[in-house]
Amino acid sequence: MAEKVIQEEKRVFMTGNEVVAWGALAANAEIMYGYPITPQNEIMHYWTRLAPKNEREFLQTEDELSAGFTTNGGVMAGRRAFTATAGPGNTLMQEPISMAEAMRLPTVTIVQQRGGPSTATVIYSQQEVTLTTLGGNGEGLRVVYSTATHQELFDYTIKAFNTAWKYRFPTFVLADGYQAKMRESLVMYDPASKGIEMFPTEPFVGKEGTPGVDREPGHFRNTYNVEEELYDVLQEHFADYNKMTPEVAEYKEIGSKESKVVVIAHGVVARGAKAAVEDLRAEGFNVGFFRPVTLRPLAVPELREVANNADKILVVESANGQMDRLLKEAIYGCSAEMLSLFKPGVGITAEEIEARVREIV
Amino acid sequence: MGRAWKIALAGEGGQGVQSVAQILAEAANEQGREALYIPNFGVEQRGGVSVAYLQIGDVAIGAPKFQTADIVVALSDRAIHRTRKYVGPETVFVYDSGIEGITDDDLPDNAKKVFGIPALEVAKNELHPRVFNVIIMGAVVKATDVVPEEKVKEAIEKKLGYKFEQNPKLREMNFKAIERGAQLVAEAL
Repeated sequence: MAEKVIQEEKRVFMTGNEVVAWGALAANAEIMYGYPITPQNEIMHYWTRLAPKNEREFLQTEDELSAGFTTNGGVMAGRRAFTATAGPGNTLMQEPISMAEAMRLPTVTIVQQRGGPSTATVIYSQQEVTLTTLGGNGEGLRVVYSTATHQELFDYTIKAFNTAWKYRFPTFVLADGYQAKMRESLVMYDPASKGIEMFPTEPFVGKEGTPGVDREPGHFRNTYNVEEELYDVLQEHFADYNKMTPEVAEYKEIGSKESKVVVIAHGVVARGAKAAVEDLRAEGFNVGFFRPVTLRPLAVPELREVANNADKILVVESANGQMDRLLKEAIYGCSAEMLSLFKPGVGITAEEIEARVREIV
Repeated sequence: MGRAWKIALAGEGGQGVQSVAQILAEAANEQGREALYIPNFGVEQRGGVSVAYLQIGDVAIGAPKFQTADIVVALSDRAIHRTRKYVGPETVFVYDSGIEGITDDDLPDNAKKVFGIPALEVAKNELHPRVFNVIIMGAVVKATDVVPEEKVKEAIEKKLGYKFEQNPKLREMNFKAIERGAQLVAEAL
C-alpha cells in the first residue's frame, strides 16, 4: 500500500462525489467496481483519477448486477472493495447485495439517491430508503448510514469499511443527488491521526492449509437444500445482527426527550429540520429534533423514549413515507401522534418545515 | 453572527451562472466563511434555464436549497419567470436590462427592490462578451457584501491563472469586469 494519502488535516471545498472518492482513498479502499449512473458518476471519475497515483484499482463492469457481484468477489479475495450507484442501478444492485447478506460479505456501497420510480429524475430524492434498507429477498441484514453533510460523507465512508469488515454485514452510505453535486467545506484527515484504525481485511478463500484438516473449511453459501438448515443459519445471522445493533445504531438529537413536538428527519433533509427546530426553540417553542444516522438498524430504544414522551412527532422526508414506515415499526405501541411532511423527489427547505411545525404546536 | 446570505442566479445554459456561483463560493471558503453552492441539473446536456443556489454565512449552512432568496439575479427572459418564486418582501431582484420584451408585468411585484443593469451591453461594447458573467459576479459582490472584491479576484486568479499567464490582458479584462459590475449596481442603487 502506498504511503499515507492525506498527510495532515486540511480544509477543502468540493462536491460530495469527490469527498466519497477521497474518503475511500483515506480508508485504504483497494478497488472500486462500478457502472455509470447519475448522480454518482463523479465518484467513479475522481476515483479513476486518484487510483493510479495511489496504487489502487478500478473496474468498470457492464452493468450494476456485475458491479455488485465483482464487489462481492473483491471482498472474498480479501480486498477492501466498494461500489457506488443510484436509482435504477440500486435496483439491480440488490441481487448481488442479497448474496452478500447470505454469505456475510463486507461490501461497501455508496448510494446517491435520485428520483423514482424508474428513470424519474437524475436530480435528488430520499426514495431509495426502502430499497437500500430492505431491498433484498431476505430480512435486511445490512447497515445503512444516512449522511447529511460533506464532513459526514467523508467520516462515514471511512466508517462503512470498518463496520462492514468488523461485523461482516454489507454496509451502505446513503446520500443523495444534492449531497453528490453540491460544494461545501469539510476537513479531510488520515484516519490514523484521529485514532481510527482500519479493521484488517482477510481473504475468505484461498487460505493456507487443507480445509477440514489444518483449518475449518470455509462455507460461504447462498444455497440450501433443506428448509431447516436455512432456518438455523438465519437464526445465527439474526443473533449476530441483534448483538451488533447497540454498537452501530447512531442518532443525533436536540432536546428530543423532553419536547412535546419532535421533528424526525434523516440525511440532507435533517439539515433543514435542525435549522427549523433551532429557530423555533430560540423563539421559545417546545420543539425537539431527532435524526437517525443509521436507518438500518435504527436506534430503537431511543426512538421509543422520544415517541413515548412527545405528544406529536413530525416525520419529514423527500419520499412518501419510506422512513416513516421504518419508524412506525420501531415505535409501535408508543403514545405520540404521527404527523408528516412528505415531498417525494423534491427538496425540503427549513422554511417549509418551520411553517409546518407552527401549524401543529 | 447573522443568517446566511441566500443567492439565486439564473440564466440560459452557457451564460456562466454556475461559474459565478462556484467562484463566489470558493472565495468565501478561502476567507474561512461557510459556503454552500448547488447547481440545478437535469437530464439535458445543454440548453434550458440554469439555476445556481448559493449560500454564504458564518456558521454551517442548513438545507442546500431555500424558498426565498436575499438576492435573485436573472439573466434571460425565461430566467426571470423561473426565479420569481424565490422572491419575497426582503428580496433584491436584479435582471439584465438588455433582455428584450420585458415589461413591468414580467417582473416580480413583491420584491424589496427590483432593478435592471446593462451588463450584456457593457460586456459587448466596453469589454468582451465572454466576461459577461464576471460583470454579474461583480454586481453580486457589490449588492451583497458577502465576499470582498479582493477575495473574488484571488479566486478568479486561482481558477484562470494559467490562462492569465499566457495572456495578461485577460486578467486585466476580468478584473475590470468585476469592477464594472460593482459600479453598475452602485449606480442602480
